[in-house]
Amino acid sequence: MPDWQELVRQRLAGLALEPCDKEEVLTELAGHLEEVYESMRRKGSSKQEAMRRALEQVTDWQELQRKIFFSRTKENTMTPRTTRFWLPSLVTLIVSMLMLPVLEWVGLRPQFLFLHGTHGSSQTYVFTVYTAWLMLLPLVGALGGYLSRRAGGTRHTIITSGTFPALAFGAVLFVVLPFKGFLEHGLEGGARSLFHTWTTEPFGALGVVAGWVLVPGASLLIGVLAYSGLARWRMKPAS
Amino acid sequence: MVGSGVKRGTAELAILSILGSGALHGYEIARRIEQQTQGKLRFTLASLYPVLYRMEQRGWVRGTWETSRNGRRRRCYRLTPTGKKRISPLRQEWSELFRALQQLTKVARA
Repeated sequence: MPDWQELVRQRLAGLALEPCDKEEVLTELAGHLEEVYESMRRKGSSKQEAMRRALEQVTDWQELQRKIFFSRTKENTMTPRTTRFWLPSLVTLIVSMLMLPVLEWVGLRPQFLFLHGTHGSSQTYVFTVYTAWLMLLPLVGALGGYLSRRAGGTRHTIITSGTFPALAFGAVLFVVLPFKGFLEHGLEGGARSLFHTWTTEPFGALGVVAGWVLVPGASLLIGVLAYSGLARWRMKPAS
Repeated sequence: MVGSGVKRGTAELAILSILGSGALHGYEIARRIEQQTQGKLRFTLASLYPVLYRMEQRGWVRGTWETSRNGRRRRCYRLTPTGKKRISPLRQEWSELFRALQQLTKVARA
């Protein structure tokens, strides 16, 4: 059987779309030609005849290239990356952040976890655990996954969009920690002490990473995976 | 000669109508339109996809990649709520146009 993907790639080589967008178009059109070819073969046509009938689907590849370019870009104000990754990621980040004050406002306050310091230290660390927030985060992860999937996101994009808030917190910590001395200098009193504990003490740093990156990340991931599983289950096989 | 605007309108109505019965991939859309119009309306790859992509850009249809039982990945199109709302006014416009043309031809014959 001919390599339809390669054939379409060669004929639409000048299609000036974003690489991922172009790849989608090539795969889709190649699939269509393959279906025509297979249909003709099933009806008893020879390979040459089936090939000829499939190629008759397009008489002017340059014209098709031009039409596809305009139909996919003219009215398009957002790139596929924006709709599949950045928008869902931004939504999950905003929703997850807004949930914190909203939950407190409705009376679901955080719990406090007390841990005693090691190495003979008499210090006690207090960690804030947003239980209700963590329990609702799977829904946010599922929302991110849904938005990304709806826009045609890949599995990787869906997972990244759904867990984006945790990744963003992680990135912020990664950026903040090297500048902790400078940042700490700008704080006063209790805030400076708290910041020092967070960034310097092993328990403090662990608490921040676990509380804002690892646990929320796991919670978001559960939501994304649950949504992906549900979406796959609901998906009807293509006819 | 039928202008490109009329052709495009017919194509859009045909696709919206066929997708009204459920999600379909491009080849199946073309096959069903041909089957249901007894071959009077035919879509080739070149005539189908530019229209489908434009309709997707307008938010009338939404394409998602799905894997069939035989493992083949295909982009399935389904109507969006905006697309569903477009069917009725489009049908109305087209039936009015055909009525007008019929009246015109009757007058010309008389």
